[in-house]
Amino acid sequence: MKIAFTINGQAQSVDIADGNTPLLWVVRDILHLKGTKYGCGKAACGACTLHVDGEAIRSCSYAVKFAAGKDVTTIEGLGTRENPHPVQQAWMEYVVPQCGYCQPGFIMATAALLEKNPNPTDEDIDNNIVNVCRCATYVRMRKAIHRAAELKQSTSPTTNQ
Amino acid sequence: MKSSRLLFILPPFLFATILLAANMNSTENPSDDPTSNTHPTESDENFDKMMAVLTHQRCINCHPSDNIPKQGEDSHPHYFGMARGAGNMGFEAINCNACHQSENNDYSGVPGAPEWSLAPESMKWEGLSRTEIAESMLDRARNGGRSPHEVLERLTEHALVLWAWAPGIGASGKPREAPPVPVDEYIEAVKAWFEAGAIIPAE
Amino acid sequence: MSEQQGKRKVSRRKFLVRGGLGTIGLLTLGTYVFRNPLRRMGFAAAETLIPPYSGTGTEINLWFEITEANKVILHSPKVEMGQGTFTSLAQIVADELDVDMEQVEVKAAATETGIVDGMSTGGSLSIASLWMPLREMAATLREMIKTEAAAKLQRNVADLNTSAGMVSGGGQSLSYAEVAAGVQEWNVPDTPPLRPTKDYKFIGRPIKRVDLAPKVFGDPIFGMDAEMPDMLHACIIRPEHVGAKFKSADTRKAESMPGVVKVVQLDDWVGVIAESISQALAAKRTIKVEWDIPKQWTEADIRELLQVGKGNKMITQKVGQALEAEAEDVVSMEFTSPIGAHAQIEPNGAVALVKDGRATVILSTQVIGVTQRQVSEALDLPLEKVNIIPTYLGGGFGRRLNTSHAIQAAQMSRAVGRPVKYFFTRKEEFQNDTFRPPTHHIMRGKLTAAGRLEGLEHHYASGDVAINSVIVPQALHSILGTDIGAMRGANLYYDKVPNHRAVQWHTTLPFATSWWRSLGLLANIFAVESFVDEMAIRAGKDPVQFRLDHISEEGFGPRIRAVIAKAGERYRDGVVRGRAMGFAASIDGGSPAAHVVEVSIEDEEIKVHKVLCVFDCGVAVNPDQVRAQCEGSIVMGMSGAMHEKMTLKDGQLYPTIYGPYDMALMRNTPKEVEVVLIEGADTPFPVGEPPMGPIGAAVGNAVRRLTGKRLTELPLR
Repeated sequence: MKIAFTINGQAQSVDIADGNTPLLWVVRDILHLKGTKYGCGKAACGACTLHVDGEAIRSCSYAVKFAAGKDVTTIEGLGTRENPHPVQQAWMEYVVPQCGYCQPGFIMATAALLEKNPNPTDEDIDNNIVNVCRCATYVRMRKAIHRAAELKQSTSPTTNQ
Repeated sequence: MKSSRLLFILPPFLFATILLAANMNSTENPSDDPTSNTHPTESDENFDKMMAVLTHQRCINCHPSDNIPKQGEDSHPHYFGMARGAGNMGFEAINCNACHQSENNDYSGVPGAPEWSLAPESMKWEGLSRTEIAESMLDRARNGGRSPHEVLERLTEHALVLWAWAPGIGASGKPREAPPVPVDEYIEAVKAWFEAGAIIPAE
Repeated sequence: MSEQQGKRKVSRRKFLVRGGLGTIGLLTLGTYVFRNPLRRMGFAAAETLIPPYSGTGTEINLWFEITEANKVILHSPKVEMGQGTFTSLAQIVADELDVDMEQVEVKAAATETGIVDGMSTGGSLSIASLWMPLREMAATLREMIKTEAAAKLQRNVADLNTSAGMVSGGGQSLSYAEVAAGVQEWNVPDTPPLRPTKDYKFIGRPIKRVDLAPKVFGDPIFGMDAEMPDMLHACIIRPEHVGAKFKSADTRKAESMPGVVKVVQLDDWVGVIAESISQALAAKRTIKVEWDIPKQWTEADIRELLQVGKGNKMITQKVGQALEAEAEDVVSMEFTSPIGAHAQIEPNGAVALVKDGRATVILSTQVIGVTQRQVSEALDLPLEKVNIIPTYLGGGFGRRLNTSHAIQAAQMSRAVGRPVKYFFTRKEEFQNDTFRPPTHHIMRGKLTAAGRLEGLEHHYASGDVAINSVIVPQALHSILGTDIGAMRGANLYYDKVPNHRAVQWHTTLPFATSWWRSLGLLANIFAVESFVDEMAIRAGKDPVQFRLDHISEEGFGPRIRAVIAKAGERYRDGVVRGRAMGFAASIDGGSPAAHVVEVSIEDEEIKVHKVLCVFDCGVAVNPDQVRAQCEGSIVMGMSGAMHEKMTLKDGQLYPTIYGPYDMALMRNTPKEVEVVLIEGADTPFPVGEPPMGPIGAAVGNAVRRLTGKRLTELPLR
């Protein structure tokens, strides 16, 4: 079946036999965007988090057929080195990543959070950011999330996705 | 105490029963239909079947009394601290639909059905007796303002309810347990119970 | 140690130009090996000695490349798995080579192109072991460039200066790239004197990680991201039961599933190779495997096997007399820790191509050289025909000290003649991990009338850590007669206790156990420091002073005492507004750490509000990343000590997924984590693991003060 959607602002169409194939594998292996990670395949770790129509989605548990006609954003489309998303900017300011593998998932989850809750409290962060980081970079991540909220409020909305 | 409450909810149900009889049994001979029998013991049997389903973990897991969805056959609290949040859908960036879609996902073992969410706060069933659940279900103040007919429809037709009989496989690849009553039997029993006046047996 | 290191020089060798890749390159021949052989000074040395760095390779090996854009590429023999090594190595190179940070790029060396560490990346040793050789090589390269520049500029070497990748003198200047252009053969001068640490511009500064942008923008840098043209995807069926032996498999249905290219049955495993990973996984679900399961292991079986008093006994520390276990004035307590999983987020896997008598394997591994040997032996290919290309690792933590799954990827590739990518599913990760072994400890102590420790003993039972590991020569265990990994943190540093000893009981368990970040440290220090704290309470002494009273000024004593005293300034006994503090300290690999934690109990759960970590790793090449490692060690240590537990049930290890395998998340992380660094030595010491040591005991000690209850089991509950 042919499935058409927008990814990182570009129209995209994939031809795939099984529409139940997780979006994760379509993004990684067909569209060759490797920033969205496989961690558990069970929607438990959050490494595969991307946005579908602005909502944080765990793409290992999201059949590609559901993406039809929707707007998908991955870490590659969130920001660039020249124009980083406020979350990416804050992540660099606080030097959050260690091994880095889980970080795109955390960054995407945080970006989605800030769209809906521009000034999250510590409790909001605890409730919403439930991805798993084995290096346990949570100490800096919390600081970076607060910083990203600040940056986002002080930058124009056009710098966002 | 129970009977006095029943007085309030009986009249609409008598009305519902008439409607149901007209709507649903038109192709069948009423006299052959065992569910049309309002004999209390058979009504009780229908009630038992219905409640065996509604108190099963497939249903109760999303009708929590503590705002925390439950998971699995042992109804443990949903991992990762998921909770009701605003609109019964979890939190802003990690709502139900971050993982649960409108179908089960065999790759991840994550269950899914249309309108996947926690039942509203007024529909807390976890820990209630069967009688209390039935009362809650029929009480417009708690059931989302539904008429008995709407309740019946919800119970017998809504995809989220019927998902319980096609609950998919879990994260470990093993099938989830379905309620103890086959779906057809359950639907028949629910209909019969409503037709018979939705009489809630005394505890 | 530092004086001895200072005398070592890179021997005079030829540097050659590397051609054909569009870069101007420099190659070094041979390897850098410390002149001093590894000294064996008994168990104490084995625990604290920094082993020499020893590279592999008998062919031309690449350390540095200088590109036409005047950048320096360091081909690192160590991999980057989050510990920040690449950044510190870049700082070291920049300082001694006189280039800016932006001019240094660090790549993990592949077996074909560079020197890979013969042992591993692990033990928190990358910086400590490369500190001297890398500075010497960078300084030597700088001298070579100056010598060559002197010829090109027709000046004396002594008149030339180097800065930011430029050689200048007498109003003229050349970039390093210009100097290197066209050079066919280099003469290597004697290594110049290294600069004093205080003169460094980059070393000792909180430079931002060199891999920051790739990790924030989602670049494809990990093993899981590797691709080769025309690549297929595969998965393997691994046993669910402990000790299960493969009998047979019915793969008929799988073979006809969409996208399936081949189902491979080799030895004791079945692999499904398909056009896409979801097709491979879908086909895998249809395969029925018959296993021979000789025994349904249970948790009780393991506890029965693993006990102080059972297995192979070895006294790993012995001073004075043994305590009389049954005596009335001897206090005795038991402690346990559970099986732990690595749970690194990037699954193990590999992309392999075996064709025309050559094998290329791209993967996340801590053991590049070992993996090369394993693939070479399994596929019967000459070593030099196997190229292992390491990537950035999505977490190591010791799990990737055995990456023999590279063999299966290679075998599958050979079976189809195309590149194959293979990785573990998460369930396979959890059930086929090389687990942190469970432990059992008996602590004994005796107080004098004055409240001093007269005797202190740590009896500890553990499964394999170093024993049976592919990276440790078995001969070493014959010599030492003990598991040096299980021993980490087991020996007591309370050297003023007149009678003290540590006794190891080692048992090989029916499932693989091995290295897990900090090895035996987390569990051993939990037992030792919980017990010492309990003895302080019984002696009616302040826990900080009680510890100091029992540590001498000998050996590492002053550095341990310094971190304890510093952290102790912030420790207060007693319960304030429902919170209590806990204190604990440890030393690992020569790096002492002391933690003060502040804890309350909310909804029957232990909540850690604050952690202060005072840590001494000597020279902190990158203090910001040392802090990051402390923060990570603390929270991962809390996860290990307060949440995680694998259990044997009906012969299988559970759980098999995050969530049920409870780990510390954002909400479990203390809101305040403060790291104070003390530079108690003039060389770098291990960083990545030592700060994990005290955390379990510190939390347990706080709970003891809060509730009066001594927690003796991990995870703490």
